[in-house]
Amino acid sequence: MEIHLSWVQALGGTLAVALPLALALFLLRRFVRAGRRDGESDWTVSAVDDHGHGSSSFHRWDARCKLIGLLLFAFAAAALSSLALALAALAISLAAALACRIPMRGALRRLLAMSGFLLMLLLVIPFTAASRPGETLLYFPGLPGLPFHVGGLLLALTIVCKASAVALLMEPLFATAPLTVTLAACARLGVPESLGRMVLLCHRYIFVFLHEMSRMYRSMRVRGFVPATDLATANAVGNFLGMLFVRSFERTGRVYEAMLCRGYRGTFPSSATFTATASDYAKTFCWVMLGAALITLDLLRLLPW
Amino acid sequence: MHISDGVLPMSVTLASAVVSLAGVALSLRRVRNEELPKIAVVTSSFFVASLVHLPFGPTSVHLILPGVVGALLGPASFLSIALGLFLQSLLFQFGGLTALGANTLMMGLPALLCGLLFQTLRGTTLVRHGIAGAVCGGLGTLLAALILAALLALAGEDFFGVAKIALLAHIPVFFIEAGVSAFAVTFLFRVKPELLAGGGPGR
Repeated sequence: MEIHLSWVQALGGTLAVALPLALALFLLRRFVRAGRRDGESDWTVSAVDDHGHGSSSFHRWDARCKLIGLLLFAFAAAALSSLALALAALAISLAAALACRIPMRGALRRLLAMSGFLLMLLLVIPFTAASRPGETLLYFPGLPGLPFHVGGLLLALTIVCKASAVALLMEPLFATAPLTVTLAACARLGVPESLGRMVLLCHRYIFVFLHEMSRMYRSMRVRGFVPATDLATANAVGNFLGMLFVRSFERTGRVYEAMLCRGYRGTFPSSATFTATASDYAKTFCWVMLGAALITLDLLRLLPW
Repeated sequence: MHISDGVLPMSVTLASAVVSLAGVALSLRRVRNEELPKIAVVTSSFFVASLVHLPFGPTSVHLILPGVVGALLGPASFLSIALGLFLQSLLFQFGGLTALGANTLMMGLPALLCGLLFQTLRGTTLVRHGIAGAVCGGLGTLLAALILAALLALAGEDFFGVAKIALLAHIPVFFIEAGVSAFAVTFLFRVKPELLAGGGPGR
């Protein structure tokens, strides 16, 4: 089916889709970046487990069971192909993110970080999707050679829903327990312990280096550095990063030697103990069943879109 | 440049996750226990470096520097990239958890190749180090963009357009990355040349 749009229809349709999207994105940015000056690079990163001690049902869930349940659900959500089911997965994830009763700012930040890539998909896929027999094509006035595939738009919207669903699940998954507990749980599930140690070290170093970097960058700005697209900027930034590596190496080298002096033998003592009760297993069972139900409905193709 | 969750079909997602896991396991086996904290240092400093945005026309690009990671860590760079991407998705989710395998392949393979290439290209002079840094910096990003396009193309015919646009959008990034990598490598050559020996930052 081919539909040739008039100018009024084209303009109205575009506005009807683009305006709510732009408004949502604007509000998201406002909320996430509240209280920050514009134009400055945003280098603030908050620790993943700032709200790791809480009392929601996600906080009380045994970390091993939580990892299994939520990871399986995340993969199930990522595998969906129907828009209606992807919306359902998004609703479930949103409910989970709200239910862990930690500030939503972290979750919204994740959505904002992905928004660029997802917007690109929303803009590009409808115009470049593969042609299928019997699909609905919209022709915008002035663009006779560039049909707008309605199927492509649905596909892009499905991806947006799935990606947001998985992103929202990250907060219940990792922010509802101290990172050490989550990593100890990973080790119990068979992840090599050395990987967990490295994640822990990196997570700590990142904040140290971030502090160092913003200090160095501030002094560059004070000395008149203005980033531009030229060789001088590449030179300045290259030296800046080189200096950052050298300083980081030397600093952490000293820290490592101090750790050795204090008896570090390649492992961190862990006091995490895990006891899974019936309710932990029940929660995991529920999440796995939810994922399985979504996948089954998706494979049966009962829904029109 | 990251693939978000839900773009790739499950078969590609799982296959790339398995290959990445194998790569990480191989890397882990070759790395000695004392080197782990040092790999963590390189990983976190590159994580922090990836927060630097350089202006490009009306928009801005952030640095990835897979070439420099390869030059610094050699065979361990795959492990470092996997860790860095995991931390990114842990802390603010550029590419998601289910796409972690694909993203690791996309950045890790170029880093490995650039590490090898850097060791053969770098001579003993400052100029040759600069050239090797530029080549590896540009090539690392080019390879990453090519793998990104290939993965997107694997997702089906609907994504061909996206793959092409992603590839085109990265052309200026090659030059920025090449420039910054060259200067970063020459800086390290002058200040602390032993870091560039590859095979892990020996102290």
